[in-house]
Amino acid sequence: MLAPYRMSRVIIAGPNNVQETAVKELHDMKILHIVEHSKSKLADIGKPLESASKLSEILVKIRALISTLNIKQEEATFKLKKSLLEIESTTKKLSDEVTKNLEGLKSIEEQLAKKDAVKQELEILKDVNVPLEYFISYKSLAYFIGYIKSKYILTLREELSKITNEFMLFDSATQKGIFIVLFVDVKKKEQIIQFLQKAGFLPLNFIHISDFKGTALSNLSKIEEEISKLHNKIESVKKNLEKLSNEYESFLLAADKFLRIELEKAEAPLMFASTPSSFLIKGWIPTDDLSKSIERLKTATKNKILVHFEPAKKHDKVPIKLKNPKLINSFEVLMNLYTMPLYKELDPTFFLFLTFPILFGFMLGDFGYGLVTLIIALVLKKMIPKARHFFNIFILASLSTMIFGLIFGEFFGFEELFGREIPHLLSRSHELMPLLYIAIGIGVVHLNIGFTLGFINEFKSHGLVHAIYAKGSWFILQIGLVLLLYLYINSLINLLNLVIGIILLFIIIILMLYKGEGVRGPIEIPSLFSNTLSYARLMAIGVSSVQLAMVINHQSEQFFHGSPVMILFGVIILLIGHIINIGLGLLGSFLHSLRLHYVEFFSKFFHGGASKYVPFGIKKQN
Amino acid sequence: MVELSSGLLALSSAIALASSAFAAAWAEKNIGVAAIGAMAEKEELFGKGLILTVIPETIVIFGLVVSILILTLKY
Repeated sequence: MLAPYRMSRVIIAGPNNVQETAVKELHDMKILHIVEHSKSKLADIGKPLESASKLSEILVKIRALISTLNIKQEEATFKLKKSLLEIESTTKKLSDEVTKNLEGLKSIEEQLAKKDAVKQELEILKDVNVPLEYFISYKSLAYFIGYIKSKYILTLREELSKITNEFMLFDSATQKGIFIVLFVDVKKKEQIIQFLQKAGFLPLNFIHISDFKGTALSNLSKIEEEISKLHNKIESVKKNLEKLSNEYESFLLAADKFLRIELEKAEAPLMFASTPSSFLIKGWIPTDDLSKSIERLKTATKNKILVHFEPAKKHDKVPIKLKNPKLINSFEVLMNLYTMPLYKELDPTFFLFLTFPILFGFMLGDFGYGLVTLIIALVLKKMIPKARHFFNIFILASLSTMIFGLIFGEFFGFEELFGREIPHLLSRSHELMPLLYIAIGIGVVHLNIGFTLGFINEFKSHGLVHAIYAKGSWFILQIGLVLLLYLYINSLINLLNLVIGIILLFIIIILMLYKGEGVRGPIEIPSLFSNTLSYARLMAIGVSSVQLAMVINHQSEQFFHGSPVMILFGVIILLIGHIINIGLGLLGSFLHSLRLHYVEFFSKFFHGGASKYVPFGIKKQN
Repeated sequence: MVELSSGLLALSSAIALASSAFAAAWAEKNIGVAAIGAMAEKEELFGKGLILTVIPETIVIFGLVVSILILTLKY
């Protein structure tokens, strides 16, 4: 608590022939935070192990298979008891089979597309009882196939008989108009075209059925049969792929995990410094685990490596592993969101644990809402154990909300139940000004905790005098202002004295801050006031939440005196309204409580910016 | 009948709150867009982006305090 784990700087050196063993052991131990070596005159970075290129090749294949077989990406549950060679051959076999299936599928789909086009054309011609082989080019005969507008069909016949009596006409009504097939003497072609243009003739081209014989109807049934056969084929290929996917799912996932780990090991030397015959690893190990892990490493490599270690020095960039007891460590989530504290700094997680739920509860502050969010948090924690830390925060915040709900006497926005007032210490909807003062009071206390922590930080890193200049001055400013105002209000000094006093006070504070924090210090004086006032949001968000809840209750109440349908309507308004209000309240209270910590509270003592401790072997989370 | 002065007080209180709310929203919009852009490049910036985005909220808090003070004026 309050400080992260102690770390030791470790340098591991050894000959190249034990590098692989050392990497394997380090990966299994998951203890060393490796600091990447950057290329220098003294030593180049290491080369990846020989197996790396092969591993990544197979890994790419496996990932491709996983995506083509539509396998859901999840952590493999069982360990693979196969050698790399077996994985490779299985992968190759599977990959070939899948490719074969996919290619088959593609060719079938192409065939199907062609048949579909043929089918469409045949369907148009199915009512025309003319063998398809007649539709070729003749020397003495011209033919037209297409649609004309329905009103022209009678005139067409008349017109035709005027032009010639050697013609053959089939017609049938369709949605697009009258479908016609017309054979005429080629000499009359021009005349016919002229008339057809007037009749809005829409010619059709049949390119897919030029080499078909027999009537369209007989061809159609044949084609339909073929199409359904192709569909069956597609089904069977898809089933095949599905079978493969089911059969190899666990293998692929396990192989993916196995290869990822192996690749990580194989590529680890890229982070090392190396000479032609030796390697050197720089990194950090928690001091508590130091001797145990060095022992293990030495045994694994048969004492062929050299390990040097020393505690962290003042200006080292130490990776941070936060150290907090159970429950409090849930609030490390909020630190991860922000940044890691520096090695020598106070770890603010404990203070987040202390004040975050209070600020949250003050804003939401409704017993009913607290109860709902508590139940939701408990259920979700069971359902998503991965995010349990996050839900722990919510559980604590909900409990605090319920406590504040009792203090404010609120239950789903109601301040009275069954005609009786709920006992309360403070009513948020009526006593606005007291609520504002309390909110700002909380702010003053919270900020002063921040200044105190800042004082401790400065004292530890720069000594007492510096701490008084940089952080103590803020206390002097506050005490001075309060005393001056007290004297003035009780008429112990007059206005002139007050002004002179305030000016003197500010001159002193500006000088102190300038000495303590440089130019930045005095500039921050106005922020003291804006930061304090910022805590007014505790009241603002709370009141808006209450008012919204009351509006919802009031609106639905009107419906409860009506018919059953109206009552149902009222219940729906009540439900939806409160769900929205709880959602808004959760979001608002969470963000604003977080913001009050990050911006107002942390700026008083916290620097941060250290990197997180991520030991080799643990999957990095980006 | 309600006095004119009380109506004016309510109106000015509303103006104080509304204008500061608009100002805060406008400022937050600009910062939020930039923060999302930065987060797309580097996801660790979520915390910093969140803080920067909510900084202008203070404006509307000031507006609220001022509007409450106006409402409590004696008339």
